[in-house]
Amino acid sequence: MNNTIGNRSETILEHLALDGAINRLKALEVPADALVWHRFFGALLLVLLVLLFLSGAFMAFYFSPAPGSAYDSVDYALFTLPFGDVIKGIHHYGWNLFLIVMGLHLVRGFWIGAYKAPRQLVWVSGVLILLLVPAFVITGDLLPWDQKGYWSTQVRISIMRSVPLVGDFMVQLLQGGPLTGIVALTRFYVLHIIFLPGVLVLLMVIHFHFIRHRGLCGPLSGDDLSRKTVRFFPVIINRWLILFLVVTFVLGLISWYWPAPLGDPADPTDSTYVPKPEWWVLFLNQLVTIFKGAWSVIGSVIIPGGLAGLLIALPFIDSSPERHPAHRKMVMLIAALLAIAVLVLSIMGYLEHHA
Amino acid sequence: MNNHKQKQTPHLDRRAFIKTTVLCSGAVILTGFPLASYFIAPALKKATGKWVNFGAVENLSSGSIEMLTYEFMVKDGWLVLPQRGFVWAKIDKDHNIKVFSSTCTHLACNVIWQEDANQFICPCHSGRFDSNGKPVAGPPTKPLSVLGHKIEEDKLLVYLNV
Repeated sequence: MNNTIGNRSETILEHLALDGAINRLKALEVPADALVWHRFFGALLLVLLVLLFLSGAFMAFYFSPAPGSAYDSVDYALFTLPFGDVIKGIHHYGWNLFLIVMGLHLVRGFWIGAYKAPRQLVWVSGVLILLLVPAFVITGDLLPWDQKGYWSTQVRISIMRSVPLVGDFMVQLLQGGPLTGIVALTRFYVLHIIFLPGVLVLLMVIHFHFIRHRGLCGPLSGDDLSRKTVRFFPVIINRWLILFLVVTFVLGLISWYWPAPLGDPADPTDSTYVPKPEWWVLFLNQLVTIFKGAWSVIGSVIIPGGLAGLLIALPFIDSSPERHPAHRKMVMLIAALLAIAVLVLSIMGYLEHHA
Repeated sequence: MNNHKQKQTPHLDRRAFIKTTVLCSGAVILTGFPLASYFIAPALKKATGKWVNFGAVENLSSGSIEMLTYEFMVKDGWLVLPQRGFVWAKIDKDHNIKVFSSTCTHLACNVIWQEDANQFICPCHSGRFDSNGKPVAGPPTKPLSVLGHKIEEDKLLVYLNV
């Protein structure tokens, strides 16, 4: 192999054929507006995702996906291993924070009209990521094989079963049979750590591809921030690293003082255990309670499906170029009504299950 | 030479495209069919039933509703594991027996019998059923499932789906 270029020898980067990529990264300039604090929801999501992947991958070292040993393996990792509580805690608090920040990311994108042309597909790919997250929660919750995970899964499976025509088959396919046993647990585990992360990374690559090619959304008011630029490397990268350090430290500290919960081992015969829906799913749970019997499909499929469809289709429904919220009164009004409905249902659900 | 090349290109492109499409489809089918079958197979397994012995009928007291627990081995994939649970048996004054599933017809939590309220109560969403399993309050609209039972040699056998 020729390791020289002209009369000098190759640098390591050239040898690895990475010089082009690094030079492009060095030359990359982004609008100075990218440094505004509310631009960092996306970066924060990226940081949290790295933490979730890391903590999850390391937890997998000690996880035994079988009903007889899953609980003990989690218990062992949590209480016996050094930093076991911190690593599980970062995973636990991390995904809760991930949901909150994703909500803020979405609200911000909606508020400033980030879904308007030419960025429609940035929005659509982002919404697809949002819709994928519940699948992570559903598959992840069962893994510790504790009461909460087991019974929440029973409720979710029951909701899934209520879907007309395909419900039963979907449940059978997900569980790999009629029981929530070892086949189900192994499936949930593999989906949680291999297939779903694969789809998530693919969607993120698509999301970033569109951001790269359709650009960031400029500020609403035309100040000169948008004309100034900063270098992606090192300015933005360093901000991300600071964010990573702060988030890891804070989540680690929280996990250290308040370890992630692990309930009693799952007991399918326990008639006293009442699964309480998580905060983010309270409104959906309340819908299932409101629509009864033959109408239950409205609460379990039609309304959630409609909302998801509405989110995906938003850039094509509200396609006017106007971005300022004050000039998008109709869209804002509908969104506000929907937000109030979600809030009211969540409060109702909270009062019913937690108060 | 150039003209000749220009004439050939669209034709070649189409041929190359069709060839690649055919090869791609072949690759997808060749890998997809076994992988999909591999993944779906257990889902096609139908739930089977089983008669479970709940012991002597004479142990059940007339005019009561009793919780009967069960544990039997069931094959789940490659593992044989104990399957545990319970059913509710209603025994009237003439010692006629009716057995209810403990699964709430709303979202599959276990219902519990409350003697003072004379109702089955689901702790999850406050669904209530009367002593005949009919829904009387809360979200459930379907009655509790009545399980088939028989008495053989003074033993109560209940048919459970496993």
